[in-house]
Amino acid sequence: MDREWNDSQPIYRQLRDRVVAMILDGVLKEGDPLPSVRTVAAEYRVNPLTVLKGYQQLVDEQLVESRRGRGMFINTGARNLLLQGERQKFLAEEWPRVHATIQRLGLTPQELLDAAASSVLKVDEAERDTAPSNDAKEKPKP
Amino acid sequence: MKSLRFAVPIALMALSTFAFGQSDAKKSFDQLKTLSGTWDAKITVDPPMPGMGDGGKDQVSMRVTSRGNALVHEMRDTSKPDDPAKIDHPVTMFYLDGDRLLLTHYCDAGNRPRMAARVSPDGKTVEFDFLDVAGSTQYGHMHHAVFTLIDANHHTEEWTYMMPGDKPMHAHFDLTRAK
Repeated sequence: MDREWNDSQPIYRQLRDRVVAMILDGVLKEGDPLPSVRTVAAEYRVNPLTVLKGYQQLVDEQLVESRRGRGMFINTGARNLLLQGERQKFLAEEWPRVHATIQRLGLTPQELLDAAASSVLKVDEAERDTAPSNDAKEKPKP
Repeated sequence: MKSLRFAVPIALMALSTFAFGQSDAKKSFDQLKTLSGTWDAKITVDPPMPGMGDGGKDQVSMRVTSRGNALVHEMRDTSKPDDPAKIDHPVTMFYLDGDRLLLTHYCDAGNRPRMAARVSPDGKTVEFDFLDVAGSTQYGHMHHAVFTLIDANHHTEEWTYMMPGDKPMHAHFDLTRAK
């Protein structure tokens, strides 16, 4: 996690957002433990109450559960819950802006579909380039 | 003359009520000032959070400033250098406002709630109730505080933070004087 904080939100909220990003990116998986309050407070040099607030926010959002004496764990279904929320947020907050731009530029549905297909193709190619080749896997041992 | 006969006792009564209130608040303020110093804190929270109260080093420091007109309370380890851009320790100021003892909490959430004191009959517990808040409460705000004086080297603090959606989070501090 990044150690720098910005001034736009309280640190506890930024901490919450970073955990959320790690869940969405698959860095933190369902059932994974969160680092202890003390560890985070010491590592990021923040007040333990700040970490508590961040974790409590995640508990309130049902993304994380506290298991007595064991720690904090990512809830089953947390990623789906987040995706649902993030999709709704995108459609409610970002999509109207995107839609307005599409209208302004007069882009047709076909042009948008072509652009989307081209983006998917680029991602596929990038993944293929970074994946280990079958030749390397099947190379006989000396 | 008749009206003066009623007016004088009423004025005296009002004056004595004011004087009593003022001295009550001042007494509590003076008592809180005796907490000046550095304190080692053991923190437990409700809802419970694993890993708290397990002997980690937390500190609270209090000092009287402004010719005795204010008491500053900081939730921070004073042995570590302060970096106001990165370190988020909250600061609370206690002060007298006429016949009231007030606190203003300067929160890292960016707001400044004020609370007014009530004192228990034995005078050992000072409870602060929410009065108002300056700044945005979008990310919650500190809502309530209770100070209980045990002896010269021990006291407890209860802080209630109201999370967004008005969900309270209580933190209990058991404090032992470090210096």
